Amino acid sequence: MPVRISDSRLSSLYATGQTNHARGGNELIDDAKVVQLLAAVADGAGASFDKALSQLKAPGLSRADQVRIVQANMTASEKKDLTQILDAGTVPMTASARAFVEAVVGRKPAGGGSTGGTTGGGAAFGPLQISGNQKNGIAGTVSPGSTIEAINITTAPGGRLRMDDTMVIAKADNAGKFLGSMPDVKEGDLIRLRARDASGNAGDWVTIRATGISASDTRNAVVSMQRIGLTAGTGGKVNVENINSSRQVSEPGAKLQFTNTRTGEKKVVTLNDQGSFPEAFSLNGRAGDTFSVAATDGKNNANLATEVGHVTVPGAAPGGVDKVEDPALHKDELNADGTPRFAKKTFSGPLFTDGAKPEDVKQGQIGNCYFPAAMAALAKSDPDAIQRMIKSNGDGTYTVTFKEMDYATGRFKNVDVKVDGDLYVRSYGAPLYGSSNGDGSAERMELWYPLIEKAYAAWHGSYNDIGDGGFSSDVLQAVLGRPGRDMTVSTAPTTMERTWAQIKRGVDASWPIAAGTHGSSTDGLYTNTGVYADHAYSVIGYEERNGERYVQLRNPWGESEPAGNGANDGVFSLKLADFARLYQTLMWAEG
Amino acid sequence: MALPPEPLQELLPHATWVVEAEVVEVLSTGPDVPKISAPAGWTDTGQKVADQRVRLKVTRVLRGEDVPELVVNKPVAAYSLRAGNKGPFLLDGTRPHPVILGRYGPDSYALAKLEAALKG
Repeated sequence: MPVRISDSRLSSLYATGQTNHARGGNELIDDAKVVQLLAAVADGAGASFDKALSQLKAPGLSRADQVRIVQANMTASEKKDLTQILDAGTVPMTASARAFVEAVVGRKPAGGGSTGGTTGGGAAFGPLQISGNQKNGIAGTVSPGSTIEAINITTAPGGRLRMDDTMVIAKADNAGKFLGSMPDVKEGDLIRLRARDASGNAGDWVTIRATGISASDTRNAVVSMQRIGLTAGTGGKVNVENINSSRQVSEPGAKLQFTNTRTGEKKVVTLNDQGSFPEAFSLNGRAGDTFSVAATDGKNNANLATEVGHVTVPGAAPGGVDKVEDPALHKDELNADGTPRFAKKTFSGPLFTDGAKPEDVKQGQIGNCYFPAAMAALAKSDPDAIQRMIKSNGDGTYTVTFKEMDYATGRFKNVDVKVDGDLYVRSYGAPLYGSSNGDGSAERMELWYPLIEKAYAAWHGSYNDIGDGGFSSDVLQAVLGRPGRDMTVSTAPTTMERTWAQIKRGVDASWPIAAGTHGSSTDGLYTNTGVYADHAYSVIGYEERNGERYVQLRNPWGESEPAGNGANDGVFSLKLADFARLYQTLMWAEG
Repeated sequence: MALPPEPLQELLPHATWVVEAEVVEVLSTGPDVPKISAPAGWTDTGQKVADQRVRLKVTRVLRGEDVPELVVNKPVAAYSLRAGNKGPFLLDGTRPHPVILGRYGPDSYALAKLEAALKG
């Protein structure tokens, strides 16, 4: 019997499915598609299709609520259309979708499932009940013989999983009891479960937070950065959406903090029960703005201090880079009332006097050793990369180009930051933060390093945002647009051999390499060695002499080094064994 | 914290003593400083370690009263001392126990740099 549908939109939607099905595609009317079909029934009487669809997809609705919405605007002919689809339709439907339509036309009562899942409609389920904690698995009761499906919706955003991409974890015995296990469930994870009977009808979703597995909840909400879509709107607003709405951005109830790195403004949003943004969520900003994102599940990273990534509003006009405001001082250089303790001075020297060299780089009074260590390493291995990333605009401003991962494409994209030559200075005129060795006067100092550092601070928000430590590998990635790598260094013989091999390989291939020391010196490990704890160095070479292997390093201070290394210029050699003892990490970016 | 040492010209005016000395004994150590949590490889966390009181055997006085020995306080800082550590120490005028100046104690400044600054 051919399907005759009178409602034009419903007919069009269903016809598309028929065509796909006839072409041999895996067309299946599932919960998401049936909501679309039913929106075509729920429209009319002042509600557009889009509005009806929005109503049906509103978070928190039960299946019964959805049925009532559709029925409220359903005409007799539309009811007949749905009956036709049920009885004569050629496009396969999931049991859940069929039950939904049957409830709308009055054949079955509506179940109580939420919009996030499916329900068995009239299926005779005992309620799924979870008992106890999850120390030994997930246990509970349900109708005998039912299978239990589950998904970890804390970790699901890290993969390509939808919230109903479940795995079967157990089958209830004759008494209705079950005990199932899932891989990689940690304390505090959100587990979403439902039961399914032998006919394939699924029951209501039940969500639990796993407990009893370990003493503390150590897994924060996982964020799928690539699903965060920003679009510049009107009135200084940036619209935020989940660009893959069938999958989560993070776990339901997670809080995400967006910080506009240009203005410093922060905004926190709580994700809905689908792990997505609430409708019409927006931020203050404009095209080209970058937002850092931090997340918390309420337990981990509760102060939102650790960020998970950045996302940029597309659409900035090519070449139309605005000069950004001078980055604010680090908090240590502010008075109690927040006013700066240091003034600025305009520097007008050349960007380069004789190209980019490691010895140009001198760390200032700021906790960002990882940055000058990376830049000096790059000046050694690939000075042209530095000359390519900064240019003078001829008007007292300079454009510095960084690289940022575009999660929408999986590729690095350019981020231009325009700064001027104003630098914070001490009372006697010397730069407070990064500077270049040699002539430090405002008229002659070589500017490439302090200006790239300034642009990096502006990009991240302020000197405060880059001045409390970091990874050299992140800097190399942001400059080269190539993933930063790292390895742990230790005195274990095999690790020392791997370290030596990696240094040789990197130096020979002209890769920039940095190395970090251990974080503290409680036992006097570093005192009098000429090497400093909690510090990053550039690895600038290696040598083998008299059967001994040496790593050549440079302190980004431009001075202070182990005795016996010639002029106090920060450049020194360490025996490999000493390097392995004093250093913790090797970081590099491959070519 | 792996900031560079403070500019010498800013610190030297506060130094009552500038001596070459060796730590002969760690007399006491203060309470542990809370550990700053950071992932491996993260440098410049600003981690500091406990204060100490140490006995110094003075081998040369570049500035200040000529004394053979001093008991001084190492403040909460990024470095720690143990017997045998040596180098140039800048000390303030606190009595009875002067405080070691310079972000890294005896590793803050090369002796030659100090000598030049004191002459200048």
